[in-house]
Amino acid sequence: MKRLRSFVSFIVALLRELADENAYHRHLAAHGRVHSGEEWRKFSEERLRAKYLRTRCC
Amino acid sequence: MPQATSTPAPPASNLKKLLVHVLWAVVAVAAAFCLAAIALNRGENINSIWLVLAAACTYALGFRFYGRFIAARVMALNNQRATPAERLENGHDFEPTNKWILFGHHFAAIAGPGPLVGPVLAAQFGYLPGTLWIIIGAVLGGAVQDFVILFASMRRDGKSLGQMAREEIGKLGGFVALLTVLLIMIILLAVVALVVVNALAGSPWGTFTIAATMPIAVFMGLYLRYWRPGKVLECSLIGFLLVMAAIVGGQWVSQSAAWAPVFTLSSLALAFAIIIYGFLASALPVWLLLAPRDYLSTFVKLGVIFLLAVGIVFVRPELELPAFTRFTDGNGPIFAGKIFPFCFITIACGAISGFHALISSGTTPKMIAKEWHAWPVGYGSMLLESFVAVMAMIAACVMHPGVYFAVNSPAGIVGATPAAAVATISSWGFPVSVPEMQELARGVGEQTLFYRTGGAPSLALGMAHIFARSGGGQALIGFWYHFAIMFEALFILTIIDAGTRVGRFMLQDLLGHVHPALGRTSWMPGVLATSSAVVLAWGYFLYQGVRDPLGGINSLWPLFGIANQLLAAIALCVATTILIKMHRARYIWITGVPLVWLVIVTFTASWQKIFSPVPRIGFLAQAGQLEVALRSGVIAASKVAPTQALIFNARLDAAVCGIFLILVAVILIDSVRVWTGILRGTRTRQVVESPFVLSRLAEEV
Repeated sequence: MKRLRSFVSFIVALLRELADENAYHRHLAAHGRVHSGEEWRKFSEERLRAKYLRTRCC
Repeated sequence: MPQATSTPAPPASNLKKLLVHVLWAVVAVAAAFCLAAIALNRGENINSIWLVLAAACTYALGFRFYGRFIAARVMALNNQRATPAERLENGHDFEPTNKWILFGHHFAAIAGPGPLVGPVLAAQFGYLPGTLWIIIGAVLGGAVQDFVILFASMRRDGKSLGQMAREEIGKLGGFVALLTVLLIMIILLAVVALVVVNALAGSPWGTFTIAATMPIAVFMGLYLRYWRPGKVLECSLIGFLLVMAAIVGGQWVSQSAAWAPVFTLSSLALAFAIIIYGFLASALPVWLLLAPRDYLSTFVKLGVIFLLAVGIVFVRPELELPAFTRFTDGNGPIFAGKIFPFCFITIACGAISGFHALISSGTTPKMIAKEWHAWPVGYGSMLLESFVAVMAMIAACVMHPGVYFAVNSPAGIVGATPAAAVATISSWGFPVSVPEMQELARGVGEQTLFYRTGGAPSLALGMAHIFARSGGGQALIGFWYHFAIMFEALFILTIIDAGTRVGRFMLQDLLGHVHPALGRTSWMPGVLATSSAVVLAWGYFLYQGVRDPLGGINSLWPLFGIANQLLAAIALCVATTILIKMHRARYIWITGVPLVWLVIVTFTASWQKIFSPVPRIGFLAQAGQLEVALRSGVIAASKVAPTQALIFNARLDAAVCGIFLILVAVILIDSVRVWTGILRGTRTRQVVESPFVLSRLAEEV
């Protein structure tokens, strides 16, 4: 049961990483800010700009 | 699991050691037995579980012994050395990340349509050549390349392949690497767009589903930006449910007398639709269409790969295709050419892919918390991708051979009518009938399954077969087929829009040296001009593929495979240079052997694609044959202009192939010059690594 719980929490953490949600929380923590629509938009624009400067894999 | 070189694990008891040795001996025997079973089997159908076990056991051995040997002896990974993620942590791209999360992240980034489509096409030789290349190529080549480049980038603060090529080999190497990547991107975008066009042509169900993903993505973009900012998972779940509804709605559309004609598009119409889409997606704000589609496609991709693995293990289907087909002689209907070299360039991703080097020197090295994490992330992720390729091979081979060839062969080879096609394919020893194909098409809700070249429809058929046997039976096979088509098209379109955007940035980067305004990403005329240039470049090759009477895949996929493998050769040149500079010259066979193999394969394939006297293989021979036909007057007046276009295209393809060869030869010669200089002592071996800083992070992050 404990292993199942840790597996589920790993999957959730992976999905949050892929969804950039973890990165957003790190961004809030690193800059001492709180969540707001404006903050998310600023974070998202910066992150997406960097993300789509890189080549995609085939 | 990973040990620091400076912190050895506590000594295990002798019994435990013995058990571990016995366990690995069992795995080694199992790998040898399974590989022998699939290699030596003739005449009888073989169960797919043999392929799964052969792959899994070989990967386990490769990871545990070869990967670890490279990590410990060659790279001397050291957990005491702080990684860029720790030293440069900034809350954005430099961030120490849990190794298994990073593994998933890296795998999601390297897994594209390549490992799915390549094996399906290479199955024309039979299941054996492609399967062996996928397994052995990944363990000895692909995973090594990804791992060494990831290590090199990690030791250089996350520098890109181009930057490393410039610093380790020379300025010329860096420029050539950038130019090669841009050219490869253009061919890649054209060929994956062609796969989507061929999957959706004449299919109202599929076309409606894919068309529906665009307003769904825009809705997701607005949802994320204005209604529920930051709720990406929640938004992606809603998007996924809407896409599922679109698949169900697609069936209704395909049966509607009013709507079906609206969504029944020709290849040419679809090609223009995708070209326009690529331009819009490249110029629109990323948050509106590209990013939400990308989130959705990443989750769908991982979910479907997981489902397929479970389905194969659960169903354990038998392979209907033989180990070898008659097309080992080079006369295959899907693409022309013998196993050597064409099997090895048709399957690039899944065995070894140059594009992975761009990912391994991108985001991932900036997120590694401990040096030893590069082992599972760099080496292990590639093995998982290789396993995806094995699954694609299985999905292709579970079909009856006659059906496989009827779906994948172009009309120009097998005949322009279904009756002619089944007669030709049956004469090859793969019996198939028109009623059988009609029944199959009806079952999956398509008007026809003949001439559906490109690999995506046959992969979708194989996947639908496996999914239907796992749950839902034949009643749901139409749904599963279109689910698989949606899955393939969704992430191919993401590659097209993201790739066009990246291509635009690369072109702006190059043109900015000529005219600074063109390099500014905020100058709209420059953005529109460079977006148009990139879209027109890959759009031209797509148009060429759609108009090609041999289906386009015959010329474009080998071109893409050659380009991708040549990029891998560049990455291995960089890796070998770094090993020599690190005083690891005695280990250069690790990168040198795959490099030599790739150079032999790609140079042979390129030479044959340009100069082979067989018109279906050699571009120049094809152009020559058409020119002779044109001069002799056997071409009807209405076909003169298209024939002239075909002649031009064949020569263009030959020129592109030649340019790739020259670019890589330049890097290769430049690299050999650097290696011999260092080994002879006439050149300094300056390692451009970041200085050692003691890590303060705990062992396990």
